[in-house]
Amino acid sequence: MKASANRGLLEGLLFFVVLGVIWEASVHVFDIKPYLLPAISDIADALWQSRAIIWENSLITLGEVLWGFLSAVVLGVLIAVLIYFVPLARRTLYPFMIALQSIPKIGLAPLIVVWFGYGLSSKVIMAFLFAFFPIVISTLGGLGGVPAHLEEHFRAMRASPWATFWRLRVPSALPNFVDGCKVAMPLAVIGAIVGEFVGSNDGLGNLILMATGSSQTALTFAALAAVTALSLALFYIIELLGRLVWWRSN
Amino acid sequence: MAAAGRNGIELAGVSKIFGQGESEVTALSDVSFSIRDSEFVSVIGPSGCGKSTLLRILAGLIPYERGSVQVAGEPVHGALDPVGVVFQTSNLLPWLNVEENLTLALRVNGSDASAEQRAAMLGTLGLTGFEKRYPHELSGGMRHRVAIGQALIRDPAVLLMDEPFGALDALTRDHLNMELLRIWQARKKTVVLITHSISEAVLLSDRVLVLSERPGRLIEDVSIDLPRPRDPSDTREDPRFGDYIVQLSELMGVR
Repeated sequence: MKASANRGLLEGLLFFVVLGVIWEASVHVFDIKPYLLPAISDIADALWQSRAIIWENSLITLGEVLWGFLSAVVLGVLIAVLIYFVPLARRTLYPFMIALQSIPKIGLAPLIVVWFGYGLSSKVIMAFLFAFFPIVISTLGGLGGVPAHLEEHFRAMRASPWATFWRLRVPSALPNFVDGCKVAMPLAVIGAIVGEFVGSNDGLGNLILMATGSSQTALTFAALAAVTALSLALFYIIELLGRLVWWRSN
Repeated sequence: MAAAGRNGIELAGVSKIFGQGESEVTALSDVSFSIRDSEFVSVIGPSGCGKSTLLRILAGLIPYERGSVQVAGEPVHGALDPVGVVFQTSNLLPWLNVEENLTLALRVNGSDASAEQRAAMLGTLGLTGFEKRYPHELSGGMRHRVAIGQALIRDPAVLLMDEPFGALDALTRDHLNMELLRIWQARKKTVVLITHSISEAVLLSDRVLVLSERPGRLIEDVSIDLPRPRDPSDTREDPRFGDYIVQLSELMGVR
């Protein structure tokens, strides 16, 4: 078990190393222009040279993502509970939400910037819009997925609706909710970057635009690497927190 | 009901229909019987005869179309406090350990069991030392024991059981049957046991009610006149045990 996990990790790493070597070699062998595709070594160099700006902008993007994600979790869960328990909300809010979800959110970005300005709030709202829907849908699925025999068991025990909610429905819904968070977190990163593309003075998305605009392609790649690392780190944190819901596999 | 005693059960002319129009199915048809306080009664019948439906009606979990149902002196329109139910599936919550599952029925109603009560129940169930284990770490038989303990720890006056031992191997089943008899004798409960096992019904019960194929009707009410305390090996050797098995098998159309 342990040995095969290590082996899997080794094979994965090896694959990336081979890809990197092929990349580095191709750039030199075919003499590709650095503004088209910089060599891996140039990207590493840009990462190091520009570490201060990359770090600074990463923190800004991280803030936008976290605020967007957290507000999506709070509001998403609230709306899901409302839709699940209030028939009127199910008939009105739910179709409205589906319609909203069908609007390409990238198309909304310019409007959001016009409404909320170049600062933090427009990016938080973009991250929120991307993360919100999967959280609502997964939480709804979890709330509705309680096995009928357990609901009957709670009725036989004369459990109050309140006790049934906290002791049965919430723990049953948690595994689905965690899955929703795993989908939503990388989407929140995309939302924040899209927001930065459309209108901002800082953040990794802005850095990508600036670097590309001034033909510093190595810096573009370095910023992209930072976005990827940010997204992976956040996903992994969710994965770790999700292990608290250990009964998911049961 | 005076006739059935304080913790008795009284059914009069109960029918249950599922669905409407074309897809209408009569599950129970005009079922009447009464069970006395502290009596152990089994209900047997071919599969699909409405045994589980009958139990759900007694437990107040589903409505019925006609007739009247009284349990422990109260008309049944929902789950009643003096009633404990053990279902076919063990119904444990995977996120609670044995001890937490055991006391769940108390805790959902805002009370709890004392440490002594818990220890005593775990001892009775043969689960001492397993209090911190989770359902997925237990065998099927252990899970069923926890589920039975969950109903018993409230000490309900009426215990309704829907094939609680159906999924168990013969040895575990014998063992749990004896535990059930011991608890029943010590605490004097009214027990209704739904089972598809004729020998289990004869071994445990004062009376066996036989339901017909759908629509379920009460076709026979057999008193089991075997000495108590009973024991799986001794009781089965009693010649009358065999006679009851034959009689009930014929009623069920098995022979």
